[in-house]
Amino acid sequence: MRTMLNIANYEVRHILKDRVAFAIVFLAPLFYAFLMGSVYFSAAINDVPFALVDLDHSLASREVVNVFSSGQHFKINPEIDSYEKMETAMREGIIRGGIVIPEDFSQKLSQKQGTEVLAVYDASNLLWGYNVRKFAYEGMDEFNRRYAAAYLQSMGMHPTQSDEVLNMVRCSIMTWYNPTYSYINFLYAGVIFIILHQLGLLGITLTIPREKEGNTWIHYLASPLERWQIIFGKSLPYIIAGFFNYALLLWFAHQFILLKIEGSILLILLLGFLYTCAIMFLGFFISLYAENSLQISRYLILLSIPIFMISGYTWPRYRIPGVIIAISELTPFTWMAEAFRKVTIKNLGFPDIAFNVLGLIIMIIIGIGLSFTFRKDREPVAGDKIRVNGGLEYPRRV
Amino acid sequence: MNRMLRLFYAFFRREFTYIWRDRGLRVVLLVMPLLSLLLFGLTYRTQVLTDIPTAIADLDHSAQSRAVASDIKQAENLDVVAYYNSYEEIKRAIEKGEVVVGVVIPEKFGQQQELRRPTRVAMIIDGSNMVYAINSSVAVLQVVRTIEVKSGVKVLLAQGEHMQDAKNALMAVNFVDEPWFNPTINYAFFLVLGLVLNIWQQCCTLLSAMTIIGETGTRSWVHLKSSSIPLFIVFLAKILAHLVIFMATVAVLYGLCFEVLHLPLRCDFGKLMLFTLGFAVAMHSLGTLISSFARNSADASRIVMAIAVPAFVLSGFTWPLEAMPQVLAQVVKWLPQTGFFQGVIFLTMKDASWTYMSQYYFQFLLFALIAYALSMVFFRLIPQNTR
Amino acid sequence: MKNTGDKGVVISIRGLVQKVGKRTVLNGVDLDLYRGECLGVFGLRGTGKTTLLHAALGVDRIKSGNIEIWGQNIAKSQAYKKKLGLVTQQPSLFADLNVAENLDLFRVIKKAPFERLEDVIQRLQLEDYLHEALPSLQVGVYQRVALACALLNRPEILIIDEIIRDIDLESRSIILQVLEAYLEEGNSCLCGFSNMEHVHYLDRVAWLDDGSIHIYSPDEAENLWRELNAVIPKKRGEQDA
Repeated sequence: MRTMLNIANYEVRHILKDRVAFAIVFLAPLFYAFLMGSVYFSAAINDVPFALVDLDHSLASREVVNVFSSGQHFKINPEIDSYEKMETAMREGIIRGGIVIPEDFSQKLSQKQGTEVLAVYDASNLLWGYNVRKFAYEGMDEFNRRYAAAYLQSMGMHPTQSDEVLNMVRCSIMTWYNPTYSYINFLYAGVIFIILHQLGLLGITLTIPREKEGNTWIHYLASPLERWQIIFGKSLPYIIAGFFNYALLLWFAHQFILLKIEGSILLILLLGFLYTCAIMFLGFFISLYAENSLQISRYLILLSIPIFMISGYTWPRYRIPGVIIAISELTPFTWMAEAFRKVTIKNLGFPDIAFNVLGLIIMIIIGIGLSFTFRKDREPVAGDKIRVNGGLEYPRRV
Repeated sequence: MNRMLRLFYAFFRREFTYIWRDRGLRVVLLVMPLLSLLLFGLTYRTQVLTDIPTAIADLDHSAQSRAVASDIKQAENLDVVAYYNSYEEIKRAIEKGEVVVGVVIPEKFGQQQELRRPTRVAMIIDGSNMVYAINSSVAVLQVVRTIEVKSGVKVLLAQGEHMQDAKNALMAVNFVDEPWFNPTINYAFFLVLGLVLNIWQQCCTLLSAMTIIGETGTRSWVHLKSSSIPLFIVFLAKILAHLVIFMATVAVLYGLCFEVLHLPLRCDFGKLMLFTLGFAVAMHSLGTLISSFARNSADASRIVMAIAVPAFVLSGFTWPLEAMPQVLAQVVKWLPQTGFFQGVIFLTMKDASWTYMSQYYFQFLLFALIAYALSMVFFRLIPQNTR
Repeated sequence: MKNTGDKGVVISIRGLVQKVGKRTVLNGVDLDLYRGECLGVFGLRGTGKTTLLHAALGVDRIKSGNIEIWGQNIAKSQAYKKKLGLVTQQPSLFADLNVAENLDLFRVIKKAPFERLEDVIQRLQLEDYLHEALPSLQVGVYQRVALACALLNRPEILIIDEIIRDIDLESRSIILQVLEAYLEEGNSCLCGFSNMEHVHYLDRVAWLDDGSIHIYSPDEAENLWRELNAVIPKKRGEQDA
């Protein structure tokens, strides 16, 4: 135990003296959390550049215009007043959506004929597309409501009476968990976890290659140390730093980026601990068998976005083919992100995340098991190798 | 001149051998983009989000409540997967994520309506996944409209209005929505190309980060440095070799995306390739710049990736630049990735005009000039390690 | 440093075949290290000295053969590692730590008691260098630190690879003194070397050539070396003349 702690102590010194490792373990997580936090800071998409093409210019059409220009969803571009202009502006991204009120709008209304309003939106980028569609529907709903009330009153109905007609069956739409449709609550926790995941792995996977590249690994192999002393001694600092970063980033997210975090603190801490351990033991295993540190950096970083996208965190999970889900379940991220959303956003208790907790625990056990596969001897290494690209890469004969 | 050309060709060829022998880089360049294409293509295979799982709890079991339930059942995009008998069950199903939309029709719903007393139907949307929530909210709005109008019409008819008048009163304006450039609101059209190009872009940056350090970091550098060979030929050959590889890999990816996955390509293919080349040069200059001052190739790789990975999120592809804080948006505008990911959408989906695209070409060019010039300065200033 | 010892076998190598990559470096080596002796493995660069030492030490997996230390097969138990000291040919101390930190970390790795630090520091006269960074050390001092680290756990077998090849004279004499004292305590030493200068400090020489071993006495080895060397200048001289 003492020996293990001593090894941990020296691992900390190695980290502190290696600029890159220090940055990865201590500085980068918060920096990236800050960077990503500022990207998503506005949380919702508002002030969508929008065109109101009113070809009718009547009292009724102005009513439509009013509905769309009030509120903060749309930022109306006043220069666009024809369909053609709207088309060009949409193509060039000057506006992301628009409403076209036909010339005979008020005429048809007064003749009590049905009339149509056209809403267009830019679906080439669905972040715009989805939101504009929603806002447009809400706007038209609002207009129809107002119009119906005015119509009934013009027929001589008392406001309370018309209210009664309109609200005979009132559907109240409630959006649970994230009523403001905040993208922060949707995405940011996942972003934090991918940061912790990738930087955590990147940090700990340097530990053995650092020894191998410094030629010091041989002393560990020749030492009477037990394998568990090496594994736990070297992982311990990363686990502690990882857990610290977890707490720090969540605090930062909650305090400054206004991420919604509800639910039991104890569960959040438990998840964080398991998540960190799962990452670190997996990382230690990778570290043992990795060719060199350059290689790990390349692969790991490339995997960041795929891990995030295939996890089912953004695109609904059951729409993703089983193969992909199975692959995604090999990473602690998938288990963690889902459980964390359940606890902090949906405010659920332990029974609902028991499966995820079990998943993480199994990952930890597998990680430790895999770490124990290393032998305290190695394949003989040649002294001098060809170096390509100035790296630590040894090409095979081609 | 002839000698220069031969020299150029020799180093041009050598670069391919180099890259091929660097097993890691070989895998990164040849396998990773294709693998990511497979991965993302499969992930977004369903492409459109229809059939949102919905549950109904009809606590009333009257003719009126059944009518509402059938309206919901017929609603576009809502897929009623379960019927429950209590609010609690609906709540549980939403908590567990089994359904995304829950409808609760209260007790005495029919009775109240008979008595002409207002009554309420609760529509619950699970907001925890925005992709779902935002689609659900539109689907729910549509069906709500139908239900409310139906009930209103009923009241008006009872008051002696004509059917047509009543309908017009309550639903005077019909609403037609047209998603442009992506008429089926296909999520895969939106994301897959961008995600794949992002991985390609990262792989290529890794290669570009070898431009200078990959040469000066080797033991053989001392020979080159002490020889009479003009070094700019060496690096020019390297750069061109890299660009050839970038364009070859991206051509394969484009081929698969547009021919196999049938992602939309509305512009001329040559136009797209030219635009990609513009970006490739700018991106390569960034890698070169970093390779000019990094201590070793591992560090160079890490630094370029520290920029290239967040660049995708910063590019405004997943979160609009307009919605970012102004300062940040102004800064990231100058990253080549921002122009590329914006421009690629404009080209492939909207076939944007040359005049529109020229702003991006200008950015790429300016960026490349500055970055290459700076790398030259660093290359001269920083003493190279000759072991 | 002559020491006949009591002929107890410490390391016994039988039929050792070792490949590095695809190249067969050792092709059926038999070798015994006796208790209390200092056995030198001689070979020019690339003949496989280091490969042999690392295999004997148990850090490199071997292709075939059998290695026993104190009668125990090294593949089966790693108990022998408690009594092992190693100085490698390539610099292998922790470059980011200073001398004192290196010694302390080696103490941890080798599970040696704290008190040993003082002893090795004093023996190898490292008092003045304790707070120096490793990259700034002279080669001689570096080798003294390396030897100090190796001796921390009071090893009974010391494996040293090219420890005094081209270092300053002061360090050389300190190292030789320490080694002499070490062997006098009845310990054994297996060392790789490629320079005949100090051959008389050895008890026996294992001459490594073309993947196999011949055992010589130090005198025989020296004579053989002289004979082999004599060929080259003679030819040159003849040509020159």
